[in-house]
Amino acid sequence: METRPETVSIFRTQENDPVKTFNEGCVMVRQPALELISHLKRADYINPTLRYLLYGVKGSGKTMSLCHAVHYCSTQGWLVLHIPDAHLWVKNCKELLPSSYHASRFDQPIQASNWLRNFRTTNEHFLSKIKLRQRYVWTKRESTEEGRPLGELVDMGVSRVKSSSDVVGAVLKELRLQAGGTEGGFRLAVAVDGVNGLWGRTTLKKEDKSPVAPEELTLVHNLRKMINNDWCGGAVIATLSQTGSLYAPSSAYLPQELLGEEGFDSMDPFIPVPVSLYSEKEFESCYLYYLDRHWLQHPHSQTEEGKKELIFLSNRNPSVLERLCAFL
Amino acid sequence: MAASVTGLLKPWTPRVLLVRWSRYNPYYLEPEPRKEVYHIPETELTPEQKEERELKSVRPIKAATNSVTSSVFNDPVLSKFVNMMMKDGDKIIAKGIITQTLENMKRKQVEKYHKAPEVKKAEIECNPYVIFHQALENCKPVIGLASIQKGGKFYQVPIPLTDNRRRFLAMKWMITECRDNKHRRTLMYEKLSQELLAAFSKEGNVVKRKHELHKMAESNRAYAHYRWW
Repeated sequence: METRPETVSIFRTQENDPVKTFNEGCVMVRQPALELISHLKRADYINPTLRYLLYGVKGSGKTMSLCHAVHYCSTQGWLVLHIPDAHLWVKNCKELLPSSYHASRFDQPIQASNWLRNFRTTNEHFLSKIKLRQRYVWTKRESTEEGRPLGELVDMGVSRVKSSSDVVGAVLKELRLQAGGTEGGFRLAVAVDGVNGLWGRTTLKKEDKSPVAPEELTLVHNLRKMINNDWCGGAVIATLSQTGSLYAPSSAYLPQELLGEEGFDSMDPFIPVPVSLYSEKEFESCYLYYLDRHWLQHPHSQTEEGKKELIFLSNRNPSVLERLCAFL
Repeated sequence: MAASVTGLLKPWTPRVLLVRWSRYNPYYLEPEPRKEVYHIPETELTPEQKEERELKSVRPIKAATNSVTSSVFNDPVLSKFVNMMMKDGDKIIAKGIITQTLENMKRKQVEKYHKAPEVKKAEIECNPYVIFHQALENCKPVIGLASIQKGGKFYQVPIPLTDNRRRFLAMKWMITECRDNKHRRTLMYEKLSQELLAAFSKEGNVVKRKHELHKMAESNRAYAHYRWW
């Protein structure tokens, strides 16, 4: 099974890209992804959106299942809104501008413009089809009229970095209004990785050193409105992630622990999809794939003894197995 | 007389056991970490092995060090290299660098393998352990120089080297080369993997240094008779 190169390279580091090493891109078809895809096939899109939450231990394959589902959505012709990591929006922000639209909120120009650029590349053919239903005024001289294509709005956001966060808000609002529509209706898939970053604390500080709450960031505020199930015609697929999360213990993986009170109440009701470690068959399949691609080079790793040792050392955890096989 | 001496060497264990130091009483025997030795059935043991087993059932045995495992992936040469690269006793960082190096080498070779045409595939070596051992072999000097004083002056005399000394010199040159001659921004594992791959194909600075030592020894051939051992 093939995966789209953009989704893989968004969350992997560029040097260790397995797509480049093996000269092909492969994704293992696993139970959680199949469950998600079957739900997406059978759901009716007249009712308000269903929210799916992937949860599991660290390294068990939540992000890969998300990417698999997103790939399915894009092959079916849906519009995909993929946020690779929501934690990147609540930490390590170099520039925090006060928002022009709303006095108490803060803008993040760099993150917003990056996201808009990725959005443009992933959804090329939708940009000219969707027309705006409202007039947006950016400054005294610039405004985007009603009926212009979405592509123009996105281009404006990428070029005018200062108002890019507001452009993101406008894009999300337009898509939400038009998703369930009967004329030229498209289905909208919102895929958020690390959704627990939207409710919690941030490491960002205002100029007087007081902490910034996530509600005070425009991007987070607009994204929360997307995740609410008051629109119809699409699905929200989210993943919990402890790896990038702030102020969460490393053993926490359940939705209650990672989302917190506020997050759980906003996400409720959702469909939880547990992602477990590799079963025996899945481990076999991964092991045989590595053997086939000449990745397991150590002579002892190709014997039965070596395989038992790998099972013992990794406890069938996908990411630990990958790190072990890297140097064997 | 021998009996009375071994009688004195009975296992006296002090009140406070300093297990991390290797100052064990010589009465203690070395541990055997390899699993294959214990899987040989009773009937196939040679008389020496049977004697050894009986001795081990009577005598106490030293504690095994942390770097020795009974895993099939244990490599003594690699452990030695890790110890030589270690600074301030930080083995985690040294082991991390070596694993990153092996991964990097394997990645480069596997990428080359998958992109090469069918004919060339057999020649590309993908196993990082094979590359590491072969590179080290290519860097080992055959003959060394010693500074010997004769008649007030010091002469560089060519001498034979023991196996351990040769392995030590090869590893030392590799590590110093990677530490000194690299750009400020290149990481250690990057530079090390480049050097090992170069040494595998007999190019690179370390192999050049080995050749220069050989040339010096050849040019000082006349002083070879100053060696008295």
